[in-house]
Amino acid sequence: MKNLFRYLRSMRFGILLLILIAACSVAGTLIPQEREIAWYAENYPSAHGAILMLRLNRVFESWYFIALLVLLCLNLSLCSLLRIRTVVRTSRGETSRAAAMPDTVLLTPEGTKKLGAYLEDLHCRKESLGEAIVYRKHDLGRYGTFITHLSILLTVVFGALALYTPTVTDQSCMPGESILLEDGTEIRVLDFHITDETGRLDYRSHVQVTLSDGRQSGTAELSVNHPFSFGSYKLFQQSFGTAGSVTVTNLENGGTDDFLLTEQAYLSADGATGIYYETLYPDFIRDPSGNVTLITVTEGSYPNPIYQIEVISDGAFTPALAEPGDELELTGLRFTFNKPVEYPGIRIKHVSTLFNALLIASFAMMIVGLFITFFYEPVLVKTDSDGYAVGGPKPERMRIELGEEFREYERNMKEEAT
Amino acid sequence: MKALFFAAFALYGAAVILEFSGTAFKKDKLLKSAWYVFLAAFAVHLAFIVTRGIAAKRLPLSNQFEFANAFAWGVALMLIVMRPRLKTDWLSVVAMPATVLVMTYAALQPMEIHDLMPALRSAWFGVHIGSAVISYASFVIAGCIALRYLLSVRKGNPDERALAQMDYISYRMVAFGFLFLTVVILSGAIWAEQAWSAFWTWDPKEVWALITWIIYAVYLHLRLRMKRKGTAMAWFLVIAVPVVFFTFAGVNTLMHGLHTYG
Repeated sequence: MKNLFRYLRSMRFGILLLILIAACSVAGTLIPQEREIAWYAENYPSAHGAILMLRLNRVFESWYFIALLVLLCLNLSLCSLLRIRTVVRTSRGETSRAAAMPDTVLLTPEGTKKLGAYLEDLHCRKESLGEAIVYRKHDLGRYGTFITHLSILLTVVFGALALYTPTVTDQSCMPGESILLEDGTEIRVLDFHITDETGRLDYRSHVQVTLSDGRQSGTAELSVNHPFSFGSYKLFQQSFGTAGSVTVTNLENGGTDDFLLTEQAYLSADGATGIYYETLYPDFIRDPSGNVTLITVTEGSYPNPIYQIEVISDGAFTPALAEPGDELELTGLRFTFNKPVEYPGIRIKHVSTLFNALLIASFAMMIVGLFITFFYEPVLVKTDSDGYAVGGPKPERMRIELGEEFREYERNMKEEAT
Repeated sequence: MKALFFAAFALYGAAVILEFSGTAFKKDKLLKSAWYVFLAAFAVHLAFIVTRGIAAKRLPLSNQFEFANAFAWGVALMLIVMRPRLKTDWLSVVAMPATVLVMTYAALQPMEIHDLMPALRSAWFGVHIGSAVISYASFVIAGCIALRYLLSVRKGNPDERALAQMDYISYRMVAFGFLFLTVVILSGAIWAEQAWSAFWTWDPKEVWALITWIIYAVYLHLRLRMKRKGTAMAWFLVIAVPVVFFTFAGVNTLMHGLHTYG
């Protein structure tokens, strides 16, 4: 049991877990994720059984990947707790232990004098203990790895909470209309445009949110990279679309109906005569003889939209094209084809701002921890009249630095000795 | 404007030829010339980046060409910063060709200036991508130093002090790059939450950045806690460089995801 515990908190185990997580991640990027089962059968005819059995089609949600993350958290927790205990214990009485270190580098008297001045220039604190002088600085540096490991643990925990606790729904909404959520919250889309006045892609809308308790936001702007938060809801500009717009006028009584069309639809008063809306094309080219070539793809707003319809009359279907502004009269109805309407797809996320804030705090802690670990290394140098020794948890940097700086004083002394 | 890019490319290439010749024939004058030509290339390269930024009215980091171009410049900058500090020129012979290699990749990419797409118009753009440039450049330099270490060991009778310095400097470069790679991943997570509504989406680019992070985390643990040094760790760093290149270029070329911009 003791051995198992020792292994669980060991760095070897931590490294093994990291390697396994990396290996699973590689598999998760090489095999396309979350496709239909038939897709794997078609694309991996000989291996799809193994892929599905090992859940390589959903690596990042598989039990073994989650188990690896849980074990990593366990390893980090144990390692962090034990590390802080060791760090605190070893930092006690470190100066007196350093004073007792034997010199590892012997210097000339001039060298030792210069070394003292050099260390003072580095803003080291100076402490005399008998004949020895101990210089130290960056004591906080010894806590760097603890802070880093703890922050990684917190990042995994709060990251999981921030990723898996929110409820997310995607909804399209026409400008001027509202989305009503289950709890009574209403999101009203005031306007939306795909491109700005210069023709640059923009995807910007104005929205207004009314919460179930009656609180109402002001008019807020929503665009890519600029979500809008109100209450516990966060709204994102997620997608967009362009809907056909047709006004149907009853010629007898003058009544009108406006239709926004995002999919195929049949517009008719009696069921026998009317128009069948097929689709809307963003652009077209008409050659001199009047033939039209339809353009199916465009980026941004539709520059030259055209409706594809079927005119249905007396059981006959006649394909036709209509441009915005065109009108068509059919047995008592007038169909007016309007300028298409751009509409946003909004992602509505019910979030815990606390988890998000804690996650971002963990990020900041990780950066601070890594900075302290690598660039705020503790310095502990003991000097006396013969030379010096470098101690502390990370002596390598100082050993190299002092070795380079005082090499000539070492050499001179050796020459004197010979 | 393209002329500046190709002028820098040609000058870097010339610096490499001079550096190799100087090393092969042990001619100090050639080595010195190589260094001055390299500095000239760097200055021209900087001029290209500045003019492109002015022309595009944004940071020139938005597609594969611009990132590769900045990456090459970052490698050159690291070499220029490191060389006087190291008081040695053993780094140039491997870092100069690395710069040319990345420039070659950049030269093969489409160079047109495009308007920044809405998803990239964010305050995080510079932090996220700028950190990636620094991070990848540091890892490449660490790999170059490790390669130089292996070549020195292979040659026989290596200078132990120089080897210790190479080993230590390569570790420091990894530490520096690792800090910035962490900034890349974390700033990317915050940005992703704003743009795509989730901190993490297991997008191939995110996953490969994480894989790269894990690889260097393993290196740092082996180096710092297990006190592993020398040839094995040098091999580790050399082998890790292709992973960095795959994360940077391979993912965008071979895998489709949310980061497929350029």
